[in-house]
Amino acid sequence: MDVFGSFTLLLAFVCAVYAFVGGIAAIKTRHPLLVKSTRQAGIATCVLIFIATFAVEYLLFSDNFSMGYVVSHSNRDLSTFYKVAALWAGQEGSLLFWSFLLSVYIISVLIVYRNKNGELMPYVGVILAGVQIFFLTLNNFVENPFKTLSIVNASGFLEPFTRQDGNGLNPLLQYPEMVIHPPNLYSGYTGFTIPFAFALAALLARYPGEKWIHLTRKWTMVAWCFQSLGILLGAHWAYAVLGWGGYWGWDPVENASLLPWLTGTAFLHSVMMQEKRGMMKVWNVWLVFCTFLLCILGTFLTRSGVVSSVHAFANSHIGPWFVGFLAVILFVCFVAYVKNRDYLKSENMLDSMISRESSFLFNNLLFLIACIAVLSGTLFPVFSEWFTNNRISVGAPFFNKIMIPIGLAILFLTGVGPLLAWRKTSVDSLKRNFGWPVIVGLIGAVAAFFLGYRDGASLLCLFLCAFVFWTIVEEFYRGAKVIKARTGMSLMMAAHELSMRNTRRYGGYVVHFGMVLVFIGLAGAAFNIEAQKAMNIGDSMKLGPYTLVLQSADTKAEKNYTAQRMIVEVLKDNKQLMLLYPEKRQFQGTEQAAGTMVAIYSTLRDDLYVVYAGMDPEANVPVIHAFLNPLVKWIWLGGVWVVMGTLLALMPNRRVALGVATVPETSTSAVAQPLTPGVTLREGHD
Amino acid sequence: MINAKRIAVLSFLLVLASSSLVIAQVGYSQRAKEIGTHLKCMCRGCDMSAGLCAHPGGAFSGPCDTAKGMLKEIDQHLAKGENQQQIIDAFVAEYGPTVYVEPPKKGFGLVAWLMPVFYSIVGFAIVIFVVRKWAVRPASSVPAGHAPAAPSDALARARAQADRDTED
Repeated sequence: MDVFGSFTLLLAFVCAVYAFVGGIAAIKTRHPLLVKSTRQAGIATCVLIFIATFAVEYLLFSDNFSMGYVVSHSNRDLSTFYKVAALWAGQEGSLLFWSFLLSVYIISVLIVYRNKNGELMPYVGVILAGVQIFFLTLNNFVENPFKTLSIVNASGFLEPFTRQDGNGLNPLLQYPEMVIHPPNLYSGYTGFTIPFAFALAALLARYPGEKWIHLTRKWTMVAWCFQSLGILLGAHWAYAVLGWGGYWGWDPVENASLLPWLTGTAFLHSVMMQEKRGMMKVWNVWLVFCTFLLCILGTFLTRSGVVSSVHAFANSHIGPWFVGFLAVILFVCFVAYVKNRDYLKSENMLDSMISRESSFLFNNLLFLIACIAVLSGTLFPVFSEWFTNNRISVGAPFFNKIMIPIGLAILFLTGVGPLLAWRKTSVDSLKRNFGWPVIVGLIGAVAAFFLGYRDGASLLCLFLCAFVFWTIVEEFYRGAKVIKARTGMSLMMAAHELSMRNTRRYGGYVVHFGMVLVFIGLAGAAFNIEAQKAMNIGDSMKLGPYTLVLQSADTKAEKNYTAQRMIVEVLKDNKQLMLLYPEKRQFQGTEQAAGTMVAIYSTLRDDLYVVYAGMDPEANVPVIHAFLNPLVKWIWLGGVWVVMGTLLALMPNRRVALGVATVPETSTSAVAQPLTPGVTLREGHD
Repeated sequence: MINAKRIAVLSFLLVLASSSLVIAQVGYSQRAKEIGTHLKCMCRGCDMSAGLCAHPGGAFSGPCDTAKGMLKEIDQHLAKGENQQQIIDAFVAEYGPTVYVEPPKKGFGLVAWLMPVFYSIVGFAIVIFVVRKWAVRPASSVPAGHAPAAPSDALARARAQADRDTED
């Protein structure tokens, strides 16, 4: 199977090269058979990558310990569930998994558009094949997952060698979320390849700037949704497994995942400027280019060892390959832009500083500042070493100080943007639209103050959360009221009908609501408290309103690990509440042999987070480390709403029955004027 | 297997019982922990601060031995009457600037703090400039630094071609 897998991967590389070279020839000659054969070569590349990926999984499931990758990341006792995840546990497997997910997108694009966009698709096919060639080069010649073990025999020759068992999977990865977090994040990273390919193809094919936007809108939203979900799942995994009481440590790998998310989010907003007003076409093209470049840069940071990280792939020799690929992409994008920029002619015109357009400009600016701040902070240790020969560390306190004001400013615009009209907003309209949200914001802040959340930044954050929440409620209420008046539906049904008639707009508001919940959760971080105590059986410790009593301890031997489990009774106001079971797991055969299983009692008010840290090496008694983290649950709930909102936005608009008028623009109706002539308006966009 | 499990349970409980009279101490003060949050754990394995080191994946999920050593060292400095800055300076002298969890606001470290301020100011200035520029000029004019637009007939042809190509 290893030879079969290796051969399949090599064949995929050959097909990708044919799709690339043949695609260029097809663009030049426009020969229909050549166009068709290169498209089929693209599809064949994807299928072969699928087969190679399944070959690795087969080798993992069949415990083939003659394979280096299987030995390094699996063992006989590893459960089936984690044998699937072992594919992305190491450098070679995860790069193949990357190619696999990229191929899922590519084959979908090639099949969906097989009879459409005749002029554009050969360009798209060539660009996608180019990206595949890069990753297949790594899969075949740099980090091949099908390498077999060998030893030098007595005669001095290499001969195949099979180990009895493997080293096992890193214990930190043996957690259910670890099975779904990387696929989500990688689906985000790889998904941004599609809008990049269409944007670059449109530029190379000299399409006017608006065309590729229409084609890639949903692909971009899918990638963005996966990236958001991947980031949140990673945060939850870090929270539930690492046992340090936090969910975001500004580790370079976390930062790397945030960078394309920030530019991708900016793009999802600025694209509306292009659709509504024909503006910012150049900007949008470069935002998509930058998002893809940041995906590659993030992969480079994660896997090259250029910045120190707790994550797995930190030290390897593939960095120069990524730097080279980044340079090639940048060069191609730059040349394509310089040669064809006149086809991105924008109708840039603003009527007022106080308008939806200018709010989008500031929105994009803030996202870009956030992106550069994270990037420069992540790379600063490298720069400092270059310039001073001393590596200056940049840790979480720096990022928190820089990013909190930027985050609050973005949150502010989340509320303000939808209240501003396109073109120009009058002062009367401002007063009318801002009155109630500000009042609700103030009520929220005062309530938070009396509930004990007395920290400046947190109070401001909670004020803005209540403010934004009310702007969203008003948006739904105004629209639903009109439908209710015209159809006689209940308000709730009318709100549902409203959402289905303009899924993108109201899906966007649902995403905003999800982000409000996330921000509420983040505001709680200022009030985290913790206590650590070496405890004998029967000892207790107090944390906030809770009292923790160590009742007993036991040991359970599982197939792949032995767990030491503490049984901790939780009391609140001297009343028994529940039992928590924090564990310390000792895994067999792994290099990094210990793992924690945190016990969390989670409520909307706070999380009681209990860790069995291990035996105190000096006192030889169990150490219990407990954290009280307010409002954390809101972050995960927010994530659910973000996904639901994106799914809503991806749905097609429900057609309005004849005789029922379309719901007018509500908050933006203050200064309703005709749009710029010649601008393509798509149904349901806002 | 059952015996092994039973032995493991018994030996673990024995360890607990034998130490039942020990009143364990964490070995460092709360103040040392607070100051430790300003210093990076130098074990090079966890990338956390000495004060918050949980050392994921380690046998003990609390401060690792390195962090614990640093916290005890902070206590020694505190016993000598040194203040937070003096203690941090002592660690920087021992380990170099890499021991900071955030760049110092002096020397090259200051660049890290000034950069976001600098590009925020530049960014806002550019956006305000752009908004003002777009607000006064006619729709058909060309952005600054922009190449002359494609001839209108070429653009129209390209647009018509793109419309045909992208028709659903």
